Amino acid sequence: MSAVLHAHPESGPTLGIDAGKRRKVLSEAGERGRWWRFAAILIITGIVLVPIMVTVLLAFTPGPNSTATGLTFENLSNVFSKTFAATWLKNSLVTTLSTVVVSVAVAAPAGYVLSRGRSKAVSGYSLLLFVMQSLPIITSVVPLFILFAGMGLVDNLLGLTIIYVGSTMTVATWMMAAYFDSIPISLEEASWIDGCSVFGSFTKVVLRNSLPGVLSTAIFAFLLAWNDYLVAIVFLRSNEIFTLPMGVQSFFQQNATDWTSVMALAVVMMLPPVIVFATLNKYFSVGGIGGSLAGR
Amino acid sequence: MSSTTTESGFARARRGVAPGGSGTAHGNRKSKLSAQATRTFFWLLLPSVVLLVLIHGYPLIYAAIQATHDGDLLQTGNFVGGQNFATVLTSPAFWKAAQFTLWFTIVGVFGSWLVGLGLALLLRTRIPAGGTFKVLLLLPWVVPIVVSSTAWNWLVATPDSLIPSLFRNLGMGTPLFLADPSLASITVMVFKVWVSFPFMMMMISAALASVDTTVYEAASMDGASRWQQFTQITLPLIARSTYISWILMTIFCVNDFPTIYLLTGGGPVNATTSLVVLAYRTVFQDFATGPGVAIAFLMTMTLVVISVILYRQIRKSSVE
Repeated sequence: MSAVLHAHPESGPTLGIDAGKRRKVLSEAGERGRWWRFAAILIITGIVLVPIMVTVLLAFTPGPNSTATGLTFENLSNVFSKTFAATWLKNSLVTTLSTVVVSVAVAAPAGYVLSRGRSKAVSGYSLLLFVMQSLPIITSVVPLFILFAGMGLVDNLLGLTIIYVGSTMTVATWMMAAYFDSIPISLEEASWIDGCSVFGSFTKVVLRNSLPGVLSTAIFAFLLAWNDYLVAIVFLRSNEIFTLPMGVQSFFQQNATDWTSVMALAVVMMLPPVIVFATLNKYFSVGGIGGSLAGR
Repeated sequence: MSSTTTESGFARARRGVAPGGSGTAHGNRKSKLSAQATRTFFWLLLPSVVLLVLIHGYPLIYAAIQATHDGDLLQTGNFVGGQNFATVLTSPAFWKAAQFTLWFTIVGVFGSWLVGLGLALLLRTRIPAGGTFKVLLLLPWVVPIVVSSTAWNWLVATPDSLIPSLFRNLGMGTPLFLADPSLASITVMVFKVWVSFPFMMMMISAALASVDTTVYEAASMDGASRWQQFTQITLPLIARSTYISWILMTIFCVNDFPTIYLLTGGGPVNATTSLVVLAYRTVFQDFATGPGVAIAFLMTMTLVVISVILYRQIRKSSVE
């Protein structure tokens, strides 16, 4: 890719003299094309977002037994007052936030080693992480279920968090490594000359300059833990330990006809990732491992 | 390891001057720093290694044991050798699930790639409010599957749902999107494409963003048609990203559980049962731990081989 970018400047001067004139003609055609493309993308986006719009709309539509008219917050308040929704929300938040913190705390130092180390052991470990992230979680879920059952970690949020940290750390490490790659080593070299230790230069120089990398890794871990269903369905048993995905599902099965309540809870579940995405979208890396693979 | 030998000069320069690296300047000081670096690296990597062994290594070994025993979720049981694998490999359900997984993966990867490519190309041109559309179109990837599958269920599940009603009113009959086996397979795949295209769009957009648009102006001066520009300039430029995104999407599709399970539960009559869904049901609904783990283990082995090969390929392609 870089080859093309480098080759380009030489081809620049060959642009003809009539480039200006041509550009004008192009821009008029472009102006009309722009609005066609706008219409096309508007329609496509509209169709693509139908399921999401339906969710939001139903969540605020009065339920079958309601006397309210127009849009209402009744479903939301019902869901919170009549079900475990508040507990589920709290469980999801606690698990997800712990996962994010621990995952970044484990992945950042490991990513630093992956980025700066050159030994065969280090590149072997990098391969190992890649292989591990590509394996189906179902394979490790069964043995872990047995192991955790013996330790009282089944139907337990700590057990869930441990597995989430384990399954996010592979990609998180890759993402951190890809970010550290972009930090010039000369910064650390300068600090070593000033007598800083390797660890000191990692925390004081590298980490301090890595907020965007840390944020995108955190967002990745957040989305994975928040959205997980497979681990939750295997490990969680009781209603008051459920996280939101399990809550929505349990609700959905029991009250299959009460769509408005299901959608109200669905909106609660969808809100945090959408907020995170809306506010931090410039740190939203290209889908986790994708960005780090493309970047390294 | 090939990755170290095939690294480009640029990458070497970027990370080569590590504290542990061999240098020319101040020999004594350097080697002291190098020893310190190795020690520090060890401690920095340790938590990650411990977790990897606990959450990935141990279960993998235990899974190998379970796959060769006739136990259940509480005890290991007796050693039965390859019997579980024989049971699995001779069962029609396994092959049916393997076949569905294959189709699901092919449609998921290329369907989402085509949609993502189209949208990335469209969004790359100047469009009013283009940035807003870009953000909005990522929502299917951001919204939890539990939520979107609920919405899709509401839209298509019963004959009276919105979309079947729409078909009926247009005089096109009442399609049973989730009750008819072949239609259910298609619905699940369309759902997967809907969930995944934003990932492809992001990957391709990122690759396209690094391309200088004047390349195209130069090409059109030289008389290259739109199609030629696409095949000769655009495609080669996004080749590496495309390749990586295909690999990852393949892994995502093969390992996918919620997209399928939450929409159809694997039905009707197992028409949408993928290997992961089959493994899950075998272990947690039929309580046949051995065969269930054997299915997961067969998938694991296949994916290990595939991912090692592909990892090497990616590392090689980064030189070009």
